[in-house]
Amino acid sequence: MTATEARTSPGPGTRRPLRAGPPAKARLRRAATPWLFLAPALLLFLYFKFIPMVQAVRMSFEEVRPFLGNTYVGGANYAEIAGSSDFGAAVWHTVVLAVATTAGSIVLGLALALLLEGQTRSLWFVRSAIFLPVVTAMAVVAEVWRVMYYPAEGGALNSVLSVFGLGPSEFLNSPDSSLASIAFVGVWRGAPYDMMIFLAGLAGVDRMLYEASAVDGASRFRRIWHVTLPGLRPVFAILLTLAAIRGLRIFTEVFLLTNGGPDGSTEVLLTLTYKLGLERNELGVAAAGTVLLFLVLLVLTVASRLRRREAR
Amino acid sequence: MSKQLRKPRGGRQAGVLAAVLAVTAATATACSSGGTARQDDSRPLEVWIRQDAGSPAAESAEALTKAFTKESGIEAKLVAVGVTDFETKLQQRTAQKDLPDIVINDTGQLGNLVTQGLVREVDRDGVAGSADLADRAWEAARGYDGKYYGVPFNSQAFALLVRKDWREAVGAGVPRTWDELTELSVKFTEDDPDGNGKNDTAGMVIPGSTTRGYLTWWFSTMLWSGGGDFVKERGEGYAAAIDEPASVEAVEKLQAMFCDSEVAQPGASTADSSATHTFFESGKGGIYLTGPYMLPRFDGSLGKDKYEVIAPPPGAGGEAVLAEGENVYLMAGSGNEKGQQAYAEFAASPAGQRIGLGIDNGGIIVRLPVNTTVDGAAERKDPRWETFQEIYNESGRNAPALPNWSAVRQLSSEGLNGVVSTCSRDVGKAMGELADELDAELEKQGAKGE
Repeated sequence: MTATEARTSPGPGTRRPLRAGPPAKARLRRAATPWLFLAPALLLFLYFKFIPMVQAVRMSFEEVRPFLGNTYVGGANYAEIAGSSDFGAAVWHTVVLAVATTAGSIVLGLALALLLEGQTRSLWFVRSAIFLPVVTAMAVVAEVWRVMYYPAEGGALNSVLSVFGLGPSEFLNSPDSSLASIAFVGVWRGAPYDMMIFLAGLAGVDRMLYEASAVDGASRFRRIWHVTLPGLRPVFAILLTLAAIRGLRIFTEVFLLTNGGPDGSTEVLLTLTYKLGLERNELGVAAAGTVLLFLVLLVLTVASRLRRREAR
Repeated sequence: MSKQLRKPRGGRQAGVLAAVLAVTAATATACSSGGTARQDDSRPLEVWIRQDAGSPAAESAEALTKAFTKESGIEAKLVAVGVTDFETKLQQRTAQKDLPDIVINDTGQLGNLVTQGLVREVDRDGVAGSADLADRAWEAARGYDGKYYGVPFNSQAFALLVRKDWREAVGAGVPRTWDELTELSVKFTEDDPDGNGKNDTAGMVIPGSTTRGYLTWWFSTMLWSGGGDFVKERGEGYAAAIDEPASVEAVEKLQAMFCDSEVAQPGASTADSSATHTFFESGKGGIYLTGPYMLPRFDGSLGKDKYEVIAPPPGAGGEAVLAEGENVYLMAGSGNEKGQQAYAEFAASPAGQRIGLGIDNGGIIVRLPVNTTVDGAAERKDPRWETFQEIYNESGRNAPALPNWSAVRQLSSEGLNGVVSTCSRDVGKAMGELADELDAELEKQGAKGE
């Protein structure tokens, strides 16, 4: 954006050109240029995102039988999914997971960022090491955690617990601890990502404020509370929005770790949708579920944008 | 970002939105259903099988297809569509209204394929060599309406793989009843049968996950042997039977395996079959109910001498072992219906069945031959396969021919998973609730009998 501005308006002195304005053709070309550059991506989005999205909305009002032809059923799919107790439980689990993962990731991410802020070369290495979970494929992460969560004495985490005289815990295998176990994996994976964004935010906090507060005799904790956190406000806004969206869309972790079990204790919106659509072959009802999820995400996104605009 | 830059964006967004809607509307109107395709007897066939590309099984299917072309002169191309995303790929082709000509897939998918209108009806008597095919295999090709919608290709029954060395170590005989089997599994769990001094063995290896209804699939044999059932025929249709006394008793025994004697392996309630295969072959599990297709793998990983194949013992309801298989489905809208039928007939013929046994390359796509003139165990020279064949012949039982069995299987597995994960749950009450859900599902499928 800045590059374009620099090219079209070379400086404040030459702002007003000698001619009354460029000819219509040139103006059109200028308007068309960005769209031409965007066209390949937009076409792909259109074909692979927007058209399927619209079709999903249509499917949500139909009994889907692709070969025989779909039949319109009105709001029956919505009534079925919203009325089922599975859906209510799935919404609840999704929200719990989203809140727990988000809160845990932000707290841990901030702590890591405060610890690892700085320019030293060794810090760079440690930061990269801590960032590794984020770039590792979720399928691999889930498989590793499944092994670590092995619910008997020989398991990796249970061996650690037994050192402290605890366990063995059932972890993923008991309805009481399964959701927490998944949230823990989420935090383990999400915290380094948040840490990176916090680090970027910390770089923008004015150093002078730290020095001034130190001169005033503020303790380390008070400096964090009164200088760092207010300085990071925009970062929190971004992280919370991202985390809310990511949290509600949670699928891979749950699918690979428990697939909604045991006893439906970790069923989230998307695993439920997957089961309805691809295991029970009720694509219309599944589509209704995803449309509901889409609406929630839309409302959340718009609300957060409006809030940010107001704040500005 | 300045206000000036932002201003025109709204207009452009509206433009893009209009374009999206226009294109969508165009694609929407382009889709309309077609009738019977024009027939051309020389049109090449596209054959799909649910096997991973490059696997020995896919090679066998390729050999089968080549032999068919040689025999009939009809060109045919085999596509091995991966095990995990077979349904998704088929859905994609369905959406394009351009189905493959032949699909070789699970018998359990029949109801769904029929409901979706994806398969053609098959005239059982019109299939060459029809009388040579086992009745039980034909039964698995029959839809809810009593008509046939596939030609049998492969069948299988399940048997217990028992660690022979462990059984001898704990000094027990071959179990003849379910009680003896349970006792044996307790010994396997508690008596350190592998003698390593650690309490790390499990008597029973159970895929207790709800994924693809695994728990239902595993539990069927135990439930049916005990005289119970998920659904049973009533009047013109079916009704839930999982809350009847015999069923509840069987489910209580299942719950005890997880909660009381704790013979099920750790993590059983979330384990899918890939986890249980690994668990058994790593030498930690004692008894595993599974299909004959696992023999080559376990012979390699565990050792042929370490385990034995025995028939699941009879229970109060007699002997009843889950039988499954694959059918050759003649897909709708094909441009070469004669070719489709010829392919199905060849696949079920003695020649086709022998190729499918995969004796040379280990790619087993025919586990137990559906053609009664082929003796699979003799061809394989392995008596353990004879055990599987006997189980199939004598006590094999197909899943009920519902319009959508997979939905019932899924619901049941969730209900069962509930009682094995939460040990305090009352089985009778939980099964009552499950029965209500099953009845509602049957009602929805139009298969509820009064």
